Amino acid sequence: MKKMIRYSLLLIALTFVMASCEKDDTDMDAVLAQYLVEPAAVELDFSALDEAPDVPVTDENDSAYNDYVENSPWNKVITITFGGETPMVTGTVAGVMVQAVGNHVTVVNLSGPVKFVVSGQTTDGSLKFYGDKRFQLLLDGAEISNPHGAAINNQGSKSMYVVRADGSFNALRDGADYVMVDEEDQKAALFSEGQMIFSGQGELNVYAQGRGGIRSDDYIRVRPGVKINIYSQALDGLRANDGIILDGGVINIETSGVGAKGVRSGGPMTVNGGRLIAVNNGDTRESTSDEGLADTTACAALYCDTLLVINGGTLKFKATGDGGKGINGKHHVTINGGATTVVATGTREIKKPKGVKLDGDFSMAGGYFYTYSRRSDPLDVAGRVNVAAGYRTYDTGPKVITIAY
Amino acid sequence: MGGCEGKRLITCLLVLLCAACFPTLSLADDAGLVASVEASHKFSKKLSAGLETEFRSRNNFRTADRVSIGGDVSYKVLPWLKAAVGYELLIDNNKEKLTFQDDGVTYNNWRPSYWGTRHRFNFTLTASYKIQRVELSLRERWQYTYRPAKITDNFDFDEAMWEDDEVKGKGKNVLRSRFQIEWDIPKCKFDPFASVEFHTTRELEKTRFIVGVDHTLKKKHAFKFFYRYQLTGSGSDEANIHLLGLGYTYKF
Repeated sequence: MKKMIRYSLLLIALTFVMASCEKDDTDMDAVLAQYLVEPAAVELDFSALDEAPDVPVTDENDSAYNDYVENSPWNKVITITFGGETPMVTGTVAGVMVQAVGNHVTVVNLSGPVKFVVSGQTTDGSLKFYGDKRFQLLLDGAEISNPHGAAINNQGSKSMYVVRADGSFNALRDGADYVMVDEEDQKAALFSEGQMIFSGQGELNVYAQGRGGIRSDDYIRVRPGVKINIYSQALDGLRANDGIILDGGVINIETSGVGAKGVRSGGPMTVNGGRLIAVNNGDTRESTSDEGLADTTACAALYCDTLLVINGGTLKFKATGDGGKGINGKHHVTINGGATTVVATGTREIKKPKGVKLDGDFSMAGGYFYTYSRRSDPLDVAGRVNVAAGYRTYDTGPKVITIAY
Repeated sequence: MGGCEGKRLITCLLVLLCAACFPTLSLADDAGLVASVEASHKFSKKLSAGLETEFRSRNNFRTADRVSIGGDVSYKVLPWLKAAVGYELLIDNNKEKLTFQDDGVTYNNWRPSYWGTRHRFNFTLTASYKIQRVELSLRERWQYTYRPAKITDNFDFDEAMWEDDEVKGKGKNVLRSRFQIEWDIPKCKFDPFASVEFHTTRELEKTRFIVGVDHTLKKKHAFKFFYRYQLTGSGSDEANIHLLGLGYTYKF
């Protein structure tokens, strides 16, 4: 009997030992699944885009009337063809002076609406416009590289209609080092003091090494049918001081400069259609202020100083560098339609790589919105988050937020 | 009063004594098992040596906590004083570590439980004093435990990725003071005992209350059954634990 008891006790002890094979960790499977989620793919997309016909505004009272190249007479035409030691210039217009030093062409336009048809290639040339008259720049197979500055520089403050001839391929390149002219700006490979309105069915590639890709000190409008690809190793890919309006077109932007932005709008930005993809691979820039204070500037695929309104179109933003934001907004963002995908996959050595960072409110009433951050908040809104009723999906996780109507 | 009746009385008294020492029992306490097997040999009246292996569980007996193997050599310096040195290899199932950010809600890091080794050396002095059949003993043990560095998995929620995390190696000195009372009941093979032990570093780390019985069979086989309540100090985030103990010693 005693033996029986002893063996029973040993057996009980053995049973306890054998039974102690369970882990006592917190069940984190579901939590980890939320963190280990892979982001949506955001890659440059050069495929054709089916868009609704681009119908010009015909109402003269419409504020956009003057943005349509069709609403101005273009019977005054000058043709500039690069290719030789100096470009071939044909056509004369009273009040318009065209001068060339090598392939560096200077146009002074005091006449009014003039169409400049530009074609041909140069590896050391440029095109600079003076005069406060609107003009049309018809790119018809132009490939201009300027090792010392902007490829095209408009110093006038009026509209520059950048029209790509149907089926044409055009390329603009700046140089790594700009030779500056006193009291003149040249902030990008394609720069304009005045507004730039892009239209036409051709293609434009811009390669920036020294400054930005395309920049206006006024505003930029992009119309349906446009194809623009911007590759900037230096500053911002596409930038406008007074706002950006995207009505359509296909825009691919890839930037890699420290502290650079894929798209930067100093004024209100409105997206009505088209497809804009901006991939920013740059890291945070560290600098020292005049007062000797350390300062940092994070990259962003899209940076808006004021209001961003998305009514339609496909927008994809990706930041992969340290502290890089998908969207960095200093004001409100309102989404009424379209499909917006934002991804931030960068490290956070200096700054936090947030998907969307807003100083204002985030409001959504339609469309699709996806934001992801691998190492920080997918959506960091200092103001209010207003998501109108009627959504199909409203998923919030630590790394991904998806809202769909 | 017969031997076994006296045994029952003493056992009840010891249990009541220890129960009075447990002011902090709560439902949040853990429970586990301590099971050990030991072989010991007496080389002379003064010198003996032993080899022991032990298993512990936690999480209400469901999770292995520790496996150890060790040996010691003891020498009776005086009839009432024994000195011993020992070494143990501890293989611990270290508990998970989950940390949160300042808001207390957002996850920060998670290191799942992992197995790691430690080396423990100890030096023990035990003073005994017998009053008739009751033996009082005071054991002072200095132990040094060294934990080698170990690379473990760590999930960084900010980075949203698994990464290697080095648990740094470190040594720790602990002074263990145990007071024990044991009753040698005539004509009874069950000897009840009770003890209280304090583990002290710079502060009191844990206190152990133990009640149990020793049972010797034909001088070669000894069994120990006990209950231990381990109370952790305020500086520790470990739960208090109830342990059931079973021990077998083969003497040769």
